[in-house]
Amino acid sequence: METLDHFLAGLSAAMSLQNLAFALAGCILGTLVGVLPGVGPAAGTAILIPLTFNLDPAGAIIMLSAIYYGAMYGGTITSVLLNVPGEAASVITCIDGYQMARNGRGGAALGIAAIGSFIGGTFAVLALVVVAAPLASLALKFGPPEFFALMLFGLCLVTGLAGRSLVAGILMTVVGLLIAMIGIDPVRGAPRFTFGVPDLYDGLGFIPVVMGLFGVAEIMATAEKPYREVIKTNLKNILPSREEWNASIGPIIRGTGLGFFLGLIPGVGSIIPTFMSYVMEKRLSKTPERFGSGAIEGVAGPETANNAYANAAMVPLLTLGIPSSPTIAVLMGAFIINGLTPGPFLFVEKPVLVWTIIASFFIGNVMLLILNLPLVGFWAKILEVPWQYVCVGTLLFCILGAYSINQSVFDVWIMLGFGVIGYLLRKLDFPLAPAILGLILGPQLEKSLRTSLEMSAGDFTIFLTRPITLTLLILSAVVLIVTALNLAPKQIREASDD
Amino acid sequence: MKLGWLIATVCLVCLFGFTMWLGIWGFAPLNSRPLAMKDALGPGPGFFPFWLAAIGISLGVLLLIEVYRGPAEKPDTASLIPERAAAFRIIAIVVLLAAAAFALEPLGFRVTAFVFIALTSLALGLVSPVAITISSLLGSVGVFHVFYQWLKVPLPVGPYDYVLKPLGL
Repeated sequence: METLDHFLAGLSAAMSLQNLAFALAGCILGTLVGVLPGVGPAAGTAILIPLTFNLDPAGAIIMLSAIYYGAMYGGTITSVLLNVPGEAASVITCIDGYQMARNGRGGAALGIAAIGSFIGGTFAVLALVVVAAPLASLALKFGPPEFFALMLFGLCLVTGLAGRSLVAGILMTVVGLLIAMIGIDPVRGAPRFTFGVPDLYDGLGFIPVVMGLFGVAEIMATAEKPYREVIKTNLKNILPSREEWNASIGPIIRGTGLGFFLGLIPGVGSIIPTFMSYVMEKRLSKTPERFGSGAIEGVAGPETANNAYANAAMVPLLTLGIPSSPTIAVLMGAFIINGLTPGPFLFVEKPVLVWTIIASFFIGNVMLLILNLPLVGFWAKILEVPWQYVCVGTLLFCILGAYSINQSVFDVWIMLGFGVIGYLLRKLDFPLAPAILGLILGPQLEKSLRTSLEMSAGDFTIFLTRPITLTLLILSAVVLIVTALNLAPKQIREASDD
Repeated sequence: MKLGWLIATVCLVCLFGFTMWLGIWGFAPLNSRPLAMKDALGPGPGFFPFWLAAIGISLGVLLLIEVYRGPAEKPDTASLIPERAAAFRIIAIVVLLAAAAFALEPLGFRVTAFVFIALTSLALGLVSPVAITISSLLGSVGVFHVFYQWLKVPLPVGPYDYVLKPLGL
């Protein structure tokens, strides 16, 4: 009952004209970020953070969250019309969405993606309302050992699902954690790896690093291979036919459940739910041979799973303070910039703010549906903007964003340095997501570990004598062993390899 | 690709080794002091970085072995080294970003952004002088106006404010 009261209070605050305007602006900007190839959701959200500097914390997070799920939808448009995914989760939509566009059914593909995304997202928000408060209450009972084990589990999942080599995945996590060590020691306050440079006392800025790894590096990759021609398809008739509806209902329902469930697990990236949904629909179909040549189920299921995941992935962030993907990590960075620490205490200390943000997800989903169905043609037109303008604009916003966080040119250099590193690592196929999560979780992970060891006077068995900690450590080991021995289900391995 | 992985892994192992060395002994020329592994209350500031670096070195060596013993791949230089025109664009982006970082505070955001947009547009293959001028003006003065004036985001004004401000720029 208390939860419902809080939610209604949050909904009322989220419905204020000001917050509605922030959500609308975020949805439009997010869709734009998703539509423009070369700007992924992580970089897009990071470079737009300066827009929120003078907003109140609720308004800032509402806008940035709307950018996040707007980008998740926007990526679909490029997948269908360009065969180029705007973000990783839309990779699978390219297969049948692009074929539908070539068959003159691009409008229907985008229409069902918008409707499926709305249904999946709305259900996920309603389920989020139900599970968030109990999960936060449970997390309040966690001590440092439990948080350490939970963060380790999340990092193991990200690492295990990161790419072709488990060793490379763990290595990149270690790199991220080590970068996080630069600056003042979070427990004793001693400077580490600062070399007497005052700019390093606060550590390497998370946002400039993300802008470099995902923004500048992505632009360099785009400049190397500019994107292809837009497919001319029928976008006037965006509502699916009766047969297409009938074929899509099942995939939408299954995609919703799958996306929501996987979004709750800290560390499962956005590509896994979409890939699993596609494989599941193909297996369940009576005519699997249609998949790959324009089956609407291949668009409806994954797109629904994608949006259900995007909303459900806010659960681990809001209740446990653990981000599931680089984009969610950027959102976590935005929380911190606004003086908020995501996690169970946020529900106790700022309940109205948390519930306002949660309620805004629901409003955002409605806005995205309204924006995307009638405006599909407009978004398609944006795809015709020459790639050079997109690159130049993104680079300019990267400079502006990196500088304005601390008014420091040093951050611009950090962004540039990590841009070059990110470009080289992308070329070599090293996974970047584990490094980003390691970077943002590093200080908390170290603090939890050292506080736990102080509690036990240096005895490591503290992690084996507490049931939750032990369970999470066993699960972490299972994830790594399953990945190392290549025992994961084939569809997960294929999605991780993508 | 294989050679690239080997070089990258060796670089990472060196980075971890350097971190460990800095943590244990410090390095006076770089103003780095040794970090205590343990203190009166428990693990010290050097504890976590030391073990991370140790894990990193072990994994790096493991990865080196994995890559070295892995199936021999055909030299795939095409995918690693961009073609001439693409390489020019990438190098231009890096150089122009570095130049922008140098110029941002001495020249201010508007002048830096104008020159940056114009030169980057040219480097990326845009040729229309009108389009480049309009986009440079919008990206410099327009963006400055939106962020500095409306959103109150602090941006470097530079020494030419007395000229630009009366012109409404």
